[in-house]
Amino acid sequence: MEALGSLLTGFSVALTPANLFWCFVGVFLGTVVGILPGLGPAATIAMLLPLTFKMDHTAAIIMLAGIYYGSKYGGSTTSILLNVPGESASVVTCLDGYQMARQGRAGAALGISAIASFIAGTVGVLGLMLIAPPIARFALRFGPPEYFALMALGLAMVVFLAGKSMIKGLLATLMGLWLAGVGIDLFTAESRFTFGQVELLDGVDFIVASIGIFAIAEVLVNMESRGGTELFKVPKGLRNLLPTLQDLKDCRFAFLNGSIVGFLIGVLPGAGSTISSFIAYGTEKAFSRHPEKFGTGVIEGVAAPEGANNSDTAGSLVPLLTLGIPGSNTTAILLAALILWGFKPGPLLVQENPGLFWGLVASMYIGNVMLLVLNLPLVPLFAQILRVPYFVLYPAILGISIVGVYSVSHSLFDVWLLGIFGLLGYLMRKLDFPAAPLILGMVLGDGLERALRQSLMMSGGQLAVLVTRPLSAGMLLLTVVILLVPLVHKARLWRMKSVEQEI
Amino acid sequence: MKRIWSYLLLVVGWMASAVVAPVSVIAFEPTKPVEAVVHTGPGGGSDIFARAIADLMQKEKLISQRMQVVNKSGGGSAVAMSYLAEKKGDANTIGFFTGVWVTNPLTTVEAKVTISDLTPIVRLVLEPAVVAVKADSPYKNMRDFIESAKKSPNQLKQSGGSVTGRDNLVRLVIQKATGAKWVFVSFPSGGERIANLLGGHVELMVIEPQEAGEHIKAGNLRVIAALTDKRLPSFPDVPTLKEQGIDVPVIPQARGVLAPPGVPKDVVQYWEGVFERFTKTASWKQYLEQNQFEDGYLKGPELSKFFDELAKQMREVLKEAGAKVVR
Repeated sequence: MEALGSLLTGFSVALTPANLFWCFVGVFLGTVVGILPGLGPAATIAMLLPLTFKMDHTAAIIMLAGIYYGSKYGGSTTSILLNVPGESASVVTCLDGYQMARQGRAGAALGISAIASFIAGTVGVLGLMLIAPPIARFALRFGPPEYFALMALGLAMVVFLAGKSMIKGLLATLMGLWLAGVGIDLFTAESRFTFGQVELLDGVDFIVASIGIFAIAEVLVNMESRGGTELFKVPKGLRNLLPTLQDLKDCRFAFLNGSIVGFLIGVLPGAGSTISSFIAYGTEKAFSRHPEKFGTGVIEGVAAPEGANNSDTAGSLVPLLTLGIPGSNTTAILLAALILWGFKPGPLLVQENPGLFWGLVASMYIGNVMLLVLNLPLVPLFAQILRVPYFVLYPAILGISIVGVYSVSHSLFDVWLLGIFGLLGYLMRKLDFPAAPLILGMVLGDGLERALRQSLMMSGGQLAVLVTRPLSAGMLLLTVVILLVPLVHKARLWRMKSVEQEI
Repeated sequence: MKRIWSYLLLVVGWMASAVVAPVSVIAFEPTKPVEAVVHTGPGGGSDIFARAIADLMQKEKLISQRMQVVNKSGGGSAVAMSYLAEKKGDANTIGFFTGVWVTNPLTTVEAKVTISDLTPIVRLVLEPAVVAVKADSPYKNMRDFIESAKKSPNQLKQSGGSVTGRDNLVRLVIQKATGAKWVFVSFPSGGERIANLLGGHVELMVIEPQEAGEHIKAGNLRVIAALTDKRLPSFPDVPTLKEQGIDVPVIPQARGVLAPPGVPKDVVQYWEGVFERFTKTASWKQYLEQNQFEDGYLKGPELSKFFDELAKQMREVLKEAGAKVVR
């Protein structure tokens, strides 16, 4: 009940005209930077930071947080329409979202992404409001062995992403893990697989690789098989452009799954929203009644990861606001902003500045509503992009991809890398290798290796440390179960076949 | 509405700035927006420091042009340093260095540019650090910890960043002086380092006083030593290592400003003058206090000497620790 009273105070702060205005500015800018590939919330907030010095601090944090969660709404747009991931947390959205667009269901995909973002975003804020301190304390129980188990669990999701051939899926994963190893090794300061290139010291940027493998490869494949002048069917009429009631029903579990997975993983400082989107996708497929259809344009395959990456933002604010611990680039800038404004982020922040915390929480409820209202009408508009003939659209996709990649690091090297990954993606498509496991390997490889080596350093080289701690043992057990699923499935198919033969 | 557009313009302008290549002009005063190169991405320590300075300089009207932070992250600091080296003679570009700019080239073959290739302008701050343990830990001071580490070598753990970072160097010099041994576990982000200390997964951490302050007030952490020459004003009860009988050199974490190689003398003088006036302003003093930084003002030949000595010290420490020192 105490929370309710505080929340009311929060709303009284967030509902002042000025704060409403800044909330809108934040979510609007967030949507824009989410849509633009490359430019992310971290860079935008860093750029706007000087402007916030003259602002009221509560208004400023409301606006900056709006950019943060607003960007997660926009991120799915280019993933669905153009197969260009708008940001790393929207890479998985390409898998089913783009397939839906090809089937003329771009509007439904964009719509469900906005709705899932709204629901999960709101559930995330509920979590932030009600259970922030206990969940933050729980997250502290995650040491390196627990992170290793979590990453292993994430990697086990490959069985849901592999597609037709498990062997090809595993090979692609290994390739991704190898790519994640490029760059300076944190533990010895020695460089690996850099071939003397300064640009590779920091490793291969995951967003460069995924835009290459998804977007550039898609353009290349389509150029080969060019058909008519219109790419995809786009149904006429607003009604046909939005998700149907049946769609919403199909996504019931996805909304819940995305909300919970996103929030819980967001709370962990060492995980990140990309991982949460992959795990939500895998979970969705694992519990689906038609897992075989994933990857062909299933609406839950869009709703789950898009929900997760939104709920994740609320989750990542938990350690920031309750402990002063940033879990991502963006929250690191928010932390810096709080310090620059003269706050003292840490365990006492909420207690000492209730107006700031509760104003922010209330503004996030409002901001999520604004985002839904802002994004749903954009759906039909964006869906029209697909009416553009291919000789205009493909050069545009190439242009967007190149500018997006260049704007991340201002490096021409990355543009070359984009081309190389485009060719790699093209080859993989030709040889029927799935792209998602490679990306999964790249996302998790770094954290997996790091957590394993940290665990071993802590235990003096004893592997037992991974299974003697209950949390990590539990997650590793779950990993093994998931890895066994395809085998069990195969065994059952084989038995059914032999039964048929007997008859 | 007008404000929205001006922000939007800012976003568009920022994107456009990625496309337009700067042209080099030599003058007494910058003739176009100044590029301030940092080696971290948005939100990194150097990025935040540079943005704060850019803002304060504008507030104090010390510089007629806008100062624009350019993120050249990668390779420790190698990407930013080689970018600066390429800007040879450019009067409208400066770089924000930290200690990493000295240590990184020592262990990274690919990092061809060293700090002595660049033009020193000014050292601005020295970041103090303290040693923290969990509040319920049995270690009341650094001696307790070291005794325990001696009794059971390599059982205790310290969380920190890269092995070439200050926190590890501090461990190496203390280990050498006392004969104690404990494990250094690297975590890439500051958040993970402190989370692992609070979660009890490691026993010790080198932390900035500003970051530790709030956790101490909340009763989560205890500070057992100051890694400075004198006691810190914010921790008057915490003795330095020397006071605790651990005689090791203080390893500074410095931040400051450099220019590209081959910059004309008048440009160097201009920047030295601007920063000298800057360090005397009230807003700079306030900034130092807020962040609990030490004023580290140093320029010219003294700054070059500081770099040389730091490099020498680091080289020795790293070699003894078994790291591969390449130059």
